[in-house]
Amino acid sequence: MSKRIVINPVTRISGFMEIDAIIENNIIIETKTEGLLFRGFEKMLNGRNPFDAVYFTQRICGICSTAHSMASTLALESAMGVVPSEQGRYLRDILHGCEYLQNHIRHFYQYTIPDFVKLPENYPLFTTDQHDFRIPKQKNDQIAEHYFESLDISRSAHEMLAVLGGKAPHNHGIFVGGITTQATTDKIIKIKSILHTIRQFIINKMIPDAYIIAHYYSDYYSIGRGYGNLLSYGCFDRYKELGTLYVNPLVYLDGKISTFDSEGITEEIDYSWYKSQADAYKPLETIPDADMNKKNAYSWVKAPRYFDKPFEVGPLARQWLSGEYRKGISTMDRTIARVLEAKKITEVLNTLLQSLIPGVTVQEEYRIPETAVGTGLIDTTRGALGHWIKINNSVISFYQVITPTAWNLSTRGNNGLPGTSEQALIGTTVKDVNNPVELGRIIRSFDPCVSCATHVYSQGDHVKSIQVVQ
Amino acid sequence: MSDTRVCPEYAARLETAAELVNKVREEIRKGVLVKRNLVWLELTGCSGNIISLLDGSNPDFKYLISQMANFIYDNSLMAAEGEKAMEQLFSIRDKEYILAVEGAVATKNNGLYNIIGRWKGEPITALKAIELFGKRATHVIALGACATHGGVSAARPNPSECVSVQSVLKRKVIKLPGCPCHPDWFLGTLAHILLYGEPELDSKDRPLLFYSTLIHDRCPRRSFFDQGIFASKLGESTCMFKLGCRGPVTRVDCPIRQWNQYVNWPIEDDTPCIGCAQFGFPDRMEPFITYNTTRGVRNVKEDSNKSGYTN
Repeated sequence: MSKRIVINPVTRISGFMEIDAIIENNIIIETKTEGLLFRGFEKMLNGRNPFDAVYFTQRICGICSTAHSMASTLALESAMGVVPSEQGRYLRDILHGCEYLQNHIRHFYQYTIPDFVKLPENYPLFTTDQHDFRIPKQKNDQIAEHYFESLDISRSAHEMLAVLGGKAPHNHGIFVGGITTQATTDKIIKIKSILHTIRQFIINKMIPDAYIIAHYYSDYYSIGRGYGNLLSYGCFDRYKELGTLYVNPLVYLDGKISTFDSEGITEEIDYSWYKSQADAYKPLETIPDADMNKKNAYSWVKAPRYFDKPFEVGPLARQWLSGEYRKGISTMDRTIARVLEAKKITEVLNTLLQSLIPGVTVQEEYRIPETAVGTGLIDTTRGALGHWIKINNSVISFYQVITPTAWNLSTRGNNGLPGTSEQALIGTTVKDVNNPVELGRIIRSFDPCVSCATHVYSQGDHVKSIQVVQ
Repeated sequence: MSDTRVCPEYAARLETAAELVNKVREEIRKGVLVKRNLVWLELTGCSGNIISLLDGSNPDFKYLISQMANFIYDNSLMAAEGEKAMEQLFSIRDKEYILAVEGAVATKNNGLYNIIGRWKGEPITALKAIELFGKRATHVIALGACATHGGVSAARPNPSECVSVQSVLKRKVIKLPGCPCHPDWFLGTLAHILLYGEPELDSKDRPLLFYSTLIHDRCPRRSFFDQGIFASKLGESTCMFKLGCRGPVTRVDCPIRQWNQYVNWPIEDDTPCIGCAQFGFPDRMEPFITYNTTRGVRNVKEDSNKSGYTN
């Protein structure tokens, strides 16, 4: 007998989504992941001042705004032919690293922990009816204490960002050329001091807490694998003097690692509510129009593909591709990779901070060309982020955004094969169909940000949260 | 309330969020005040205001949920998911609660551009949620640009037909514009409600406590403006009026409050204020960054007619 499970809202993610799964004999056989928010940034950006994209696109996402300031700045620099100085790169990569830490600490403690750790019941926010809590009380309560302690730590990651970025979320610092302000000695030592505290917390609490969870939920090492194709645009990489501090643009497919080629990126729309002259296109070719009556379409999430194949992006992809962590690809491996990456980022930040020359100015009076095309590709907290810009009459005439969450939460490809996280759900055994905790845990391991993956919802067949359909 | 006509900066310093919260704490100890129920709805936006709230300090998020409010519902932070999460939200209907809202309200296609959950099988749109929970709340606090006036979600051509919270609610809505809202602006307003009731508001329903004075009037670079010394590019330490600074039209206390543990703010970061706390942001505040070569790249007035802004 088949059962259908619908979870909505999937809480503890950024934005809104629904998981819709068909289960047979307790095994997920079919699934759809749908985003439930659409704002249409690509349409809004047309006609705007190109410089404004840096601040405007940050508003795509409140938890990873800095990521969009990075990608938009890179796209602008590419269009304008501006090559930032190495000091400029160090400075803005420092801001980007602060964002990684803020995100990873909040994702692990505020978004992931409540799936595995029982938090104090006297807070209404922490009430839950799931009962798969396995960690012994003393260890459980210690992690719950760290939940609250982590709030100070993630907040201080945003404080570091603001020291050079003005404010967070939605920083002002990252801009063409690097950052807007100068890193004076007092600011550098302030960031170093905060970073020291964050690093101690990651090493002494966050990583051990993740391994405690992994110990009691070791079955999650064997579920939620997905295709196992991994991709990164690279980040903290290819500095002239420092070389690559983290990961180069690479892909992992069929057991082999190869160099990433940006020509391989396409978006497919057969299963999405869009119409275009082509059902697959390269990022700079088109922004398809909405078509909610399209047959077989079930979501407004498009399907980014790399040479026609779906890929996973994010911390596990980067840890794997850089050789830092290759234990496995699964729900729990994603969480372990995320906390290990947090530690790695503190090391990258320390190296960059040590390489700064205090008081350097990297700004110039920039000119927008009459006509230009630019691409900005960068691995951010959640994975590979791309911005593509066309400038005409010195204003934006075309803007394409392909987010990490679009890669991970994509619809089926034109070949009918499921998207990355859909594939990760399929085949999973749901122990208790009335309490299907596995689905949310698998999806959250990807750290989806639906605010980023601007989707829309179509009125379809509405079912109750758990319903027998056959 | 103290008289802010004499010196707004001095008055604002006396009544910081921390000061108000300390008063609340004293009152709670006396048993005079009880914690109030708080529902936080994330609607059509980037969910950046809940992240900004987590950046608050003294009061911080832990103090908020343990000492100031029974925090009932928030999509980003609650442990429950699916139907159970919605049960928690709907259980509040018969009780007294304060409603905080971030994000605009998407109205296109009956609101189906933004679904925040499913209740008894039916999708609950942002539009439906604000109708269901906005009317019954003792106070509604709209925070962030999108909730207070449409913000970026309603930027031209406003594909999801977003409007402000006030546009769909015929009742008093306290407005805390900003992109995002500073945690002190929200926590100070909430503290005021707990302690004294609704704070004193201006004609656009913004608390005077935070929104009484133009950035330009308290800008540390004001002397450069007065002397006509203007920056020609970002990164300079003089007045950024000619780079497009919106400090002269933006009414909020950033210059004296600052952000993220009070370490910095956009002008100290050598960038212009982009008017994120002013009604009409972003369309009426653009272009954000302009050098003389790019000045007047497009007709802002004409474009802003197409956006969904209110007020």
